[in-house]
Amino acid sequence: MTVKAIEKSIADQLTEKGWEVEPIELRNTQIAACLGCFGCWVKTPGTCVINDGGRETTRKAIQSDLMVWLTPVTFGGYSSELKKALDRIIPILLPYFQSYQGQIHHKMRYQKYPKLLVIGVQESGVDYEETFMALAERNSINFRPPAHAVSVFQRDKDPKTIPVFVEEQLKKVEVIS
Amino acid sequence: MSQPRNVLLLIGSPRIEKSNSYAIGKFLVDKLEEKGLVAEEAFVTRLVNTGEGTEKLLKSVDNADIIILATPMYVDSFPSPTIKAMELIHEYRKIVAPTKPQMLVAIINSGFPEKEQMDIALKILRNFAQASNFKWGGGIRVGWGMALNSEPLNEKKGMTRKLTAGLSLASVNLSEGQPISEKAEDLASTLFVPLFLAKTMTRLFLNRGWNKLAKGNNAQDKMYDRPYELNR
Repeated sequence: MTVKAIEKSIADQLTEKGWEVEPIELRNTQIAACLGCFGCWVKTPGTCVINDGGRETTRKAIQSDLMVWLTPVTFGGYSSELKKALDRIIPILLPYFQSYQGQIHHKMRYQKYPKLLVIGVQESGVDYEETFMALAERNSINFRPPAHAVSVFQRDKDPKTIPVFVEEQLKKVEVIS
Repeated sequence: MSQPRNVLLLIGSPRIEKSNSYAIGKFLVDKLEEKGLVAEEAFVTRLVNTGEGTEKLLKSVDNADIIILATPMYVDSFPSPTIKAMELIHEYRKIVAPTKPQMLVAIINSGFPEKEQMDIALKILRNFAQASNFKWGGGIRVGWGMALNSEPLNEKKGMTRKLTAGLSLASVNLSEGQPISEKAEDLASTLFVPLFLAKTMTRLFLNRGWNKLAKGNNAQDKMYDRPYELNR
C-alpha cells in the first residue's frame, strides 16, 4: 500500500513536470536469478546470456535519465524482488578493475548513467535505516550516477505526508526544483 | 548454547558446488564433522523457487543447531535467491517459533580484495539473525575470491593457509557451542598477501584474466561493447 502510494506520487510529480515515467513491477516481471557465470562480461559483453525480462530491465535502466529503486527495507537491504533485477544489471559495468575512492571497483562501460534515487519503506519496530542508507551509498560508488539520493519512509507514517516526502527526494536528485 | 549436534551448510552461490562459497563452507563443515557433528548441505538456488523446495529449506533450518550461510557478495549484498531464502526463513519463524537455540554463522566472499567491502552485507546478515531469533555466530569475510578458483581448500597451500587456519579455529569454537572468536574471524578474513599488493595485482593481472576468458569465447574484440547505448 505504502510502496504503491510512493510509486504513484513519483509518477504523478514527474509526469506533471513533463517526464515520461515507466514503472516496472518486478514481482510481475519474469527475471531469472543471475547465474554468476560472467557471460555478460566475457561471452556476450554488455548483454546477459539469459534472454528474459532482465535484459529489457537493464536496457531501460541504462537508457533512462533517472532510475528509482523502490523497495521494502529487508533486514537493512533490498527485497529479493528488487535484487533479482539489480543482480542482472551488472553488464552495464565492465569486468575490469580499477582503483576508485581508494578501493577496487569495476570500470564503467557506458559514458552516461542515470541519476539514482533509492527509497526504502520500513516496517515499524525495526531500525535498519543506517544499514539501508549505507548500502545505497555503496551502490552509488559502483554505478556512479551523476546524482543520487537515498531515503527511508516509515510505513506507519501518515500517508498524507507521502507527496511532500517524494518531492523532497526528487529535489535531492535535481530532477525537480 | 549447549553442545551442538547438527550443522547445516547453506550455499548462497548460484554456482552451487563449483563456487568459492562451497569450497570455503565445505572446509569448515568437514572440520566440524571431524569433531562429531552431523552435517547437511543445501543450495538456496535449488530450493527457493518451489513450494517443495521451500519446505525442505525450512525443515533443514529447523533441524540444525548451527546454520552456516556461505554466500558471495553481489552488488554489495547477496544474490537474490539468498535474500529470498532469508525472507522465507524469517516469515516462517514469525509463525513457528524455534524450539531450540540456534546459531547463524556467515561466510561471505567477494572478488574485491578489501574485506571492508563486505561490511554492509555482513550487517544485513546480523540484522536477519537478530530479527529471526538466531544467535549470531560470527562472520568471515573472504576477499579476492578469484584467487581461490572455487577449488577445495588446501591447508598446506600458502594462498589458503590463513583462511584454513582461521576456519579450523572457528570449528573449535562452533563445536563447543560458541560463536567464532575474533581471532578466528580475523585470521580467516586476512589475505595471504599485503592488501596493497593484492590491489596492484588485481589491476595488473586479474584484468588480463578477463581478456583471456573472453578470448576463449571469441569475444575479446567486444569487451567494450555498449549494446544499449542511445545515440543522443
